[in-house]
Amino acid sequence: MSLAPLRGRVAWVFEQADFDVDQIVGVENIRLTDADALAACAMRRFDPDFAGKVRDGDVVVGAENFGYGHPHFAPMIGLRRLGIRAVIAESFATGYWREEIAEGFPQIACPGITGLVERWDEIEIDWEGAEVRNLSRGAARPIAPYSSAERGMLQAGGLVPYLRGKLTAEGGG
Amino acid sequence: MGYTIAEKILGRASRAGVPLRAGTEVEVKPDYVLGYDFPGYLDLIFRQMKEEFGIERVAEPERFALFIDHMVPANTPQEEELHIVTRTWCAENGVRLHEREGIGHQVAAEAGYAVPGGFVVHFDGHIAQLGAFGTLAVGIHTQLLEAFVRERIDFTVPETTRVNLSGTLSPGVMARDVFHHLVRVLGPRSCRFQVLELGGPALAGISLEGRQTITGLAMFTGALTAICNPDRLALDYAKAHVAGPFAPQASDADATFAALHEVDLSDLAPIVVVPPNPAGTADLADHAGLAVQAGYLGSCASGRLEDLRAAAAVLRGRRVAPGFQLHVVPTSQAIMAEAAREGLLTTLIEAGAFVTSSSCDYCYGRIATMSAGQRAVSTGTLNVKGRMGSPDSEIYLCNAAAVAASAVEGRIADPRPYLAEGAGAGA
Ligand code: SF4
Repeated sequence: MSLAPLRGRVAWVFEQADFDVDQIVGVENIRLTDADALAACAMRRFDPDFAGKVRDGDVVVGAENFGYGHPHFAPMIGLRRLGIRAVIAESFATGYWREEIAEGFPQIACPGITGLVERWDEIEIDWEGAEVRNLSRGAARPIAPYSSAERGMLQAGGLVPYLRGKLTAEGGG
Repeated sequence: MGYTIAEKILGRASRAGVPLRAGTEVEVKPDYVLGYDFPGYLDLIFRQMKEEFGIERVAEPERFALFIDHMVPANTPQEEELHIVTRTWCAENGVRLHEREGIGHQVAAEAGYAVPGGFVVHFDGHIAQLGAFGTLAVGIHTQLLEAFVRERIDFTVPETTRVNLSGTLSPGVMARDVFHHLVRVLGPRSCRFQVLELGGPALAGISLEGRQTITGLAMFTGALTAICNPDRLALDYAKAHVAGPFAPQASDADATFAALHEVDLSDLAPIVVVPPNPAGTADLADHAGLAVQAGYLGSCASGRLEDLRAAAAVLRGRRVAPGFQLHVVPTSQAIMAEAAREGLLTTLIEAGAFVTSSSCDYCYGRIATMSAGQRAVSTGTLNVKGRMGSPDSEIYLCNAAAVAASAVEGRIADPRPYLAEGAGAGA
């Protein structure tokens, strides 16, 4: 089984290192759980018309240590509802990475990504070749490999279906 | 080529039974699986176990221990219902439940889960503080579910960054300052996905409590966890608390580290961590004089006896500034009882502190909530926006003595002058 193909536009570049993802929806909205409510407030402080511009299949790009601080699930629930299908960053904060991979949400570590793309560039993830390609400009950068468990979670669509598959294979646990 | 303590512990916890190199993907069996109830955490795991996997009972209940330390006491019927779910599940599963004993990460040490050489998982990364006793304790977030439905969990043996501490801490400078200084020197992404291993001659001079503080905050260097190679102090504590035999591990002299840092603590001065970023390390002196309305002395990071002693030393014979809200929450009930025996609580109460039984609730703003425009000094773990109330309130993290000194002045204050005088004034 391979990972689902990813091709879309860079809907936003978070240039700040150690970016606290809670800012995406705002701390005052962090307790919301409804995806539509989160989508309604996501990215508004960065671009008030973000929801109107983003398309299903787009990605967002981050700098070093994306997700530092005390991240909650809410921001990425909102982004996914808007159609964002992956986060590509120079590097990720440990806790954030573990949480979102377990959600089955592709997080792609790609050193050099912030120099590779600009907002609205069209990009493609080549899973086999393990690189991010900028289709608008024609350059590429390699992506860091996943552990087999991480890859398994992304393929299965998250921790729960991944574990279910594992327990079934082991004969019911 | 030798191995790190983490490589040895994970090797022991794997089927291999021998040390494994960093980068190895392996299945490991945790010695203890820990967690606390909070909406969407344990209740979700209990439900997923049953509904997604058809598992009614955990296989080896003696490897599990759960805590009720958030929402204590309950504030709404829903909160109490959540606790009832946890109590019922523990009773049905024969799993130990620690309720109202204190903040779980501290109670875990008192209850004997900090096994030197052991591997422990929790969803919350502050469990790293069991590393003070030579335990590899990792916050694995939602992956904790795996530990409830399988004997072993997937894990990649992490690399280790080693920090050797040297020098002597000046009075008024505490373990918290050491940790925040490490974030300043190493940076907030220095140890991403790694183990932060602490050693060096100065570590021997840092109490177990202080080591719990430092290791428990490791996540703000990006680390998965932190650990100290257990010395006599740690092993004596373990012998007094751990049931049964254990096999302590230690890094070999020729172990391979991803990075090695030497950090001299001699000239360290008290630190504040400026909001809204846990890496906003600054010298307290640069922010002294800033008005504050609230102080929190507690949390799984600080609120142990040495913190209470430091605060009492500052507050003995003094009064908290009028209108200042000083909340003192010992990290566990055992610590509170000992503080009572030592007379520390009397000193703190007479100074005007509001002293409360142990609970997480002050740490995340469930109670003692700040409104917009208010500012706190805090020994909590985090200074992100909205952590202790309004997103427009502010938290300056600092050590316990600095919280006490700031409480006296109603503004951020250096504790050192108080401690210098206090040495002569006595009680
Ligand atoms: S004291 Fe604070 S950081 Fe520690 S476990 Fe409780 S809420 Fe979390």
